[in-house]
Amino acid sequence: MIALLQFVLVLSLAPLVSGLIKTLKARLQTRRGPGILQPYYDLHKLFQKGMVLPDTASWIFTATPYVVFATTALAGLMIPMVSADAPLGLFGGVLAIVYLLGLGRFFLALGGLDTGSSFGGLGSSREMTIAALAEPAMMLAVFTVAIGANSTALSQVARTAIAQNWRFLAPAQILALAALFVVLIAETGRIPVDNPATHLELTMIHEAMVLEYSGPYLALIEWGASIKQLVLMTLLINSFWPFGLQLEWSAAGALVSLGWLLVKLAALAGCIVLVETTNAKMRFFRVPDLLAVAFTLGALALISTFLF
Amino acid sequence: MMNSLLRELREKLGEHVAPVATESSAEACFQIAPGDIPSAVEYMRDRYQARVATVFAEDRTPAEGVFYNYYVFEQAGNPGYLILRAAIPAGEPRFPSIAAQLPAVNWQEREIQDWFGLEATGHPNPRRVALHDNWPDVHPLRKEFALDQALAPFAGEQHVYRPTLGEGVFQIPVGPVHAGIIEPGHFNFAVAGEPILYLQLRMFYTHKGTEKLFESLPIPRAVFLAESISGDSAFSHGTAFCQAIERAAHIEPPARAEAMRVVLLELERLYNHIADIGAIANDVGFAIANAHAGRVREMAVGLNEALTGSRLLRGMVCVGGVREDWSGAQLARLGGALDEVEREFGEMVALVKSSDSTRDRLEKTGILRPEKAEALGVVGVGGRASGVDRDVRRDHPYAAYALFPFRVPVYREGDVWHRVQVRIDEAGESFGIVRRAAAGLPGGPHCAPHQPIPADRCALSAVEGWRGEIVHWVRTGRGNRLERCKVKDPSINNWPALVEAVEGNIIADFPVINKSFNLSYSGTDR
Repeated sequence: MIALLQFVLVLSLAPLVSGLIKTLKARLQTRRGPGILQPYYDLHKLFQKGMVLPDTASWIFTATPYVVFATTALAGLMIPMVSADAPLGLFGGVLAIVYLLGLGRFFLALGGLDTGSSFGGLGSSREMTIAALAEPAMMLAVFTVAIGANSTALSQVARTAIAQNWRFLAPAQILALAALFVVLIAETGRIPVDNPATHLELTMIHEAMVLEYSGPYLALIEWGASIKQLVLMTLLINSFWPFGLQLEWSAAGALVSLGWLLVKLAALAGCIVLVETTNAKMRFFRVPDLLAVAFTLGALALISTFLF
Repeated sequence: MMNSLLRELREKLGEHVAPVATESSAEACFQIAPGDIPSAVEYMRDRYQARVATVFAEDRTPAEGVFYNYYVFEQAGNPGYLILRAAIPAGEPRFPSIAAQLPAVNWQEREIQDWFGLEATGHPNPRRVALHDNWPDVHPLRKEFALDQALAPFAGEQHVYRPTLGEGVFQIPVGPVHAGIIEPGHFNFAVAGEPILYLQLRMFYTHKGTEKLFESLPIPRAVFLAESISGDSAFSHGTAFCQAIERAAHIEPPARAEAMRVVLLELERLYNHIADIGAIANDVGFAIANAHAGRVREMAVGLNEALTGSRLLRGMVCVGGVREDWSGAQLARLGGALDEVEREFGEMVALVKSSDSTRDRLEKTGILRPEKAEALGVVGVGGRASGVDRDVRRDHPYAAYALFPFRVPVYREGDVWHRVQVRIDEAGESFGIVRRAAAGLPGGPHCAPHQPIPADRCALSAVEGWRGEIVHWVRTGRGNRLERCKVKDPSINNWPALVEAVEGNIIADFPVINKSFNLSYSGTDR
């Protein structure tokens, strides 16, 4: 039951978060913006459309949208969103989430390469460069919270954090939070790492990989990308500041928790928008420096769990 | 001066060098033999440091039985232009190429090959440029080629790009259809990973036969055609064209018209520079600067509309002056509106300058070295950011520019940031020029009345458009029409500079380097 509710919540909330970020960004840029519901309209439109498949595409190209969507949706079931108990706890909790997302990315990169288009190859190569650096930083940050809770299960992490009310102010937690925020920016393809709003193929990372997709396939990939964003944002929120998570199931309590989730997501979206608006995109070869900073923060966080 | 030059050229080339009468004291013309071209160009370059502003041809076979090739020179500190004309007999349609010594004329010589069927012998890369490879063997600017002549549908050879070989070296074809709302051009990158090894360009996808069209229109209507050569330079191209006609027919635009033209030329520079600074910031992901630039540009084009009825300054220039006069109320509003644009522009520039992440992307990106810029004859913003101290407004004053001295910003760094800096500085100067010109606007008529334009007069005219040097050359014909109109947009000079500037940069930086030159495809292709 909870699993079903959370599944629906993940799928329906993800486009809203994307829309919120777009609208907030537009407002900060003195534009009116497309309206917060636009991603839903876009998905609806794409599902109505026909598809153009490149002649050179193999089964990898057609399998990729499903893999991307399935892995991110599955990851969405493994994080505590409303209830402290995630509906699904497989293979070591947070580790499984990291590698489910990794699997999706692996297929996305293959899908970009599969058509033989030069832009796809460019995007895939850039994506893997970034992933190779973002993943270790993320693991270190995740280990930091896991050590604090003596478990890699996110439900346990959340319960521990709720029990120790001010734990999020511990140095290790703050360092890990900073590391995870940088990873969030990189993994969701946002400025200063990637520019989700650009039309310039030569500068794209995520968009370059999916240039050849159209119609329902593109819808699945876009939806998957927004779910991934929601998963990472919720992971960040509910590992470090799980305040409002429901410990025992009740319908009224679930609504309150949902309200808290939305408030916290909106606040995090605001932070992302601020970073995106006040920064230009980095030169591609400088991105590793940024991720190295995230890695260092993660490493320091991990070390400091043993010191304080 | 001209007599001594004639004497020198005769000494150098022989007694056959002859002066050709011109309509304007601002240009001198000598006729030389086709075989003299390389030594004459070399002499002008070595003795006078003269730069070839443009090279073009004309078909005079019906009237005189020859083709003419024209080489237009300019020299620092000399407001006049020197034109060397070589008569090429119709029976022997070839001329010696100077592209190997002077890479700046590479494309222009090949245009002559394509348009007129005159072979540039010894050209290092004599392939087609303006007519694509699959075109049949026709030469549309010859008089024998009728304007309404329809060609049978053709298919033929595709262009073969130079191969780039090596392990891990890839070719990335981009365009001619692009993702944004921009014009078509094909870019063929050879890359080793991210760094660009070599860029090959292919233009002329939007060739519209503009120079041929000029030969079919009555002159008053041809002004509109000149305005549409490159939409963002409508007023500059229109003015260049009208000035050429005025010089050919000895029409003196009244002082009021000359000052009004200065105001409008600078307003055109302003709205384009504002938009460019925003667009460059946008290409590195600093969208907020672009949002503000869009807003400020909107104020600027609103001002254009208030003054001319056209946001992009179309339909205002005419032979003899400008089409509409300004009322006192219009001029009074101009001052206040301009102050507001300047204030907002200052804030926008401060925003760009204060963004470290933006400057980090723009500085040291896409460097065009001054030696290269000089050798390629780069003009305008791109040139002045790379140490090329040239500006038609100062070097060959036209309209009322001689009355309004201004500073020409020149930098030697040659990177994207300094192309932005040149725009910022020039916009600052433009505000001042517009204010001074509008404040001291002379009275009197805004347009000189004139008779139909007499036939067979030639004249050259140059204008510093916001992008750089625009040159028009006309020969008038019977019935208030034109025999020939040559159009040189600054873009044709500057595309090779882009090729130089991107080398060694990463491919993700290409869009912003390209945007920092912001060349016109339509102006190139005509």
